[in-house]
Amino acid sequence: MRRTTVFIILLALIFAFASIASAKTKLRFFYPVGVAGPLVKVINGMVAEFEKENPNIDIQPVYAGNYNQTMQKVQTAVLGGNPPDIAVVEISELFSLMQMDALIPLDNYIAQEGGQKYLDNFYKGFLGNAYGRDGKIYGFPFQRSTPILYWNKDMFQAAGDKLKAAGLDPNRPPKNWDELVKYAEILTIREGNQTKQYGLIIPGGWNDWIFEAFSRQNRSQLIKEDGLTVTFDSPENLEALNLWVKLMQDLKVCPVLRPWNITPDDFIGGVTAMMYYSTGGMAKIRKTAKFNWSAAFQPAGKQYGTPVGGGDFHIFKGIPKENQDAAWKFAKFMTTPKMAAHWSIESGYVAVNKNSYDLPEMKAFLQQFPQMTVARDQLNYAYPKMMAVNYQLIRNAMTTNLDAALEGKKPPQEALTDAHKLMEKAIKGK
Amino acid sequence: MREKLEQFRAYLFLIPGLFFLMLFTYLPILWSSWLSFNRWNLLSPKPKFAGWENFIELWHHDVFWLIMKNTFFFVSISIFPTMFLALVFAIMIDERLKGRVYYIYSFFYPTLIPMAAAAMLWVYIYSPNLGILNILLAKLGLPKLGWLGSSATSLWALIIMTFWKNLGFFMLIYLAGLQNVNRELYEAAYIDGAGWWRRHISITFPLVGPTSLFVLVTAIILTFRVFDQIHLMTEGGPGNSSNVIVYYIFENGFKFFDWGRATSLTTILVCILLTLTLIIFGIFGKRITYTAD
Repeated sequence: MRRTTVFIILLALIFAFASIASAKTKLRFFYPVGVAGPLVKVINGMVAEFEKENPNIDIQPVYAGNYNQTMQKVQTAVLGGNPPDIAVVEISELFSLMQMDALIPLDNYIAQEGGQKYLDNFYKGFLGNAYGRDGKIYGFPFQRSTPILYWNKDMFQAAGDKLKAAGLDPNRPPKNWDELVKYAEILTIREGNQTKQYGLIIPGGWNDWIFEAFSRQNRSQLIKEDGLTVTFDSPENLEALNLWVKLMQDLKVCPVLRPWNITPDDFIGGVTAMMYYSTGGMAKIRKTAKFNWSAAFQPAGKQYGTPVGGGDFHIFKGIPKENQDAAWKFAKFMTTPKMAAHWSIESGYVAVNKNSYDLPEMKAFLQQFPQMTVARDQLNYAYPKMMAVNYQLIRNAMTTNLDAALEGKKPPQEALTDAHKLMEKAIKGK
Repeated sequence: MREKLEQFRAYLFLIPGLFFLMLFTYLPILWSSWLSFNRWNLLSPKPKFAGWENFIELWHHDVFWLIMKNTFFFVSISIFPTMFLALVFAIMIDERLKGRVYYIYSFFYPTLIPMAAAAMLWVYIYSPNLGILNILLAKLGLPKLGWLGSSATSLWALIIMTFWKNLGFFMLIYLAGLQNVNRELYEAAYIDGAGWWRRHISITFPLVGPTSLFVLVTAIILTFRVFDQIHLMTEGGPGNSSNVIVYYIFENGFKFFDWGRATSLTTILVCILLTLTLIIFGIFGKRITYTAD
């Protein structure tokens, strides 16, 4: 009796050790959903397919909220000594993560894949936010976007006569800022003191990103590429902010500070004729809008211009080497032409891998929905998004002051100056 | 000697509880209070002693005073309507008035659902063009409001939603407190010709005194601590118009990684709450009538 017990215990121990030896590599993957749309399901599907192809890697995808919440979760995990293995965070956060010494450089992995030749498969505009100050590459593009102009074709047709009388074409959206104002005025319908239809919505929440777009369109920028020199308070940016205040306060063709996440609902619900939003929200509009719509480059100021947006993969320090290798495998998988195409189709984000656009399923899809190419084509006029250490504090300074100007509580120049001062303070430390 | 042994064993049993209390309550309070006198943020990665600097900076910081104004506004506006209506509805339920089942369900279910679910629900209710509130306002010929997207209304939007959420909880507490009121007093008053209001003002209100004190202190502390709805509905915006102290502490600690400022704010909050509690117990503690059981 005694010997049987010992034997059984020994067997159990052997099985235990065997299973540990063949244990799967377990990865924790934090990711955000920064736009409207049920993208959690898509991510879970892609993870499942990766696990099928790689049976000894187990990924636990953790939906961590929006970009702000995900960065907070990642920062807290890193500072608590328990970093995730791989995460997607908003691209402007790179310098903060580097300040925390949280990431590993990916140069070796990329060299193994073919170095620069491998990187050439991906859009250059999306790699601009991946490099640290030491010239090494610390991020890999995944869900990438630019803001675009969505427009409701049916509403444009309905206002056809008025538009033509003003010398504007109802079959195309505005090409520049002047036309933007004119189109928006004609497309705004009021009944008594209620606005039944807005000409345009520039949403709040990420209005700093859209403001960066207007800044680029006017040949200025918010922070220089070094992440240290603030250029928020510039005459060109003042022109842009004055334009916004004119649209929202004077002409009232644009509502003030619509929440970011429900702005697509407003477009789908026929509340507005035009909308600035990320291309990442296109899938929801494509699936639920019951009218003819299209997308276009954001109207030009002195030029077409836009920052890029979205999130990159980052692999963290402080995790075992085999986890890092597995994480790279995962990042590589998610950015293959097939997977990048799938993600793009299901979300509206631009497929980061150029070869995705050669795939038959992508070509067929684009035949049906040419709007999906707008953001990709706008990359020709795209700049890297602004990055700086302590980005959350900087973003807070920008949005608080932009919000105040848009609500008419601060004159635009004062808003720019105040934000500029706060941003400099955040970068230099108190 | 035996007594000493007993005492020793008693202390021994207390040690696990004391350990956790120290680890999760007392030590963090001490550590946090110490940190509030240090400078520690993302750009100075090690805490550096800075004396009263954090507090002086906050004194001169506009946003700090806006936050305090918002918080005190939130608390003072919510407290008395909440208590009053909670008591009224508890009385109506207790008196078995017609339709009380309807009252019980409609007032208590908000308390049962998680705050996160309620927040998501109200984001859509407050949606400026598609939410039912603005649609109702438009139907009544009133102007639509910006609710969560306007700095004039964002705090009110949160106050209304919090009131809706917490009413049922306090109603339940009052319901329990009402059980201690002697029914015969009502009958005596009724015979003497006292109306519904008179009965409740002169009998119920004084006799639920201890419950009221509990509800008052709990409501104040709970309202000072609101966080979830701000985090999920407005993130303090627009322009800090709906930012309150606990959310501001969270922002400084976990968004901006300014631990020095976050801990000094925490110390200030703790001092305020302690002072308030002492004042309330001081004023009302002695005037509470306790019925003999």
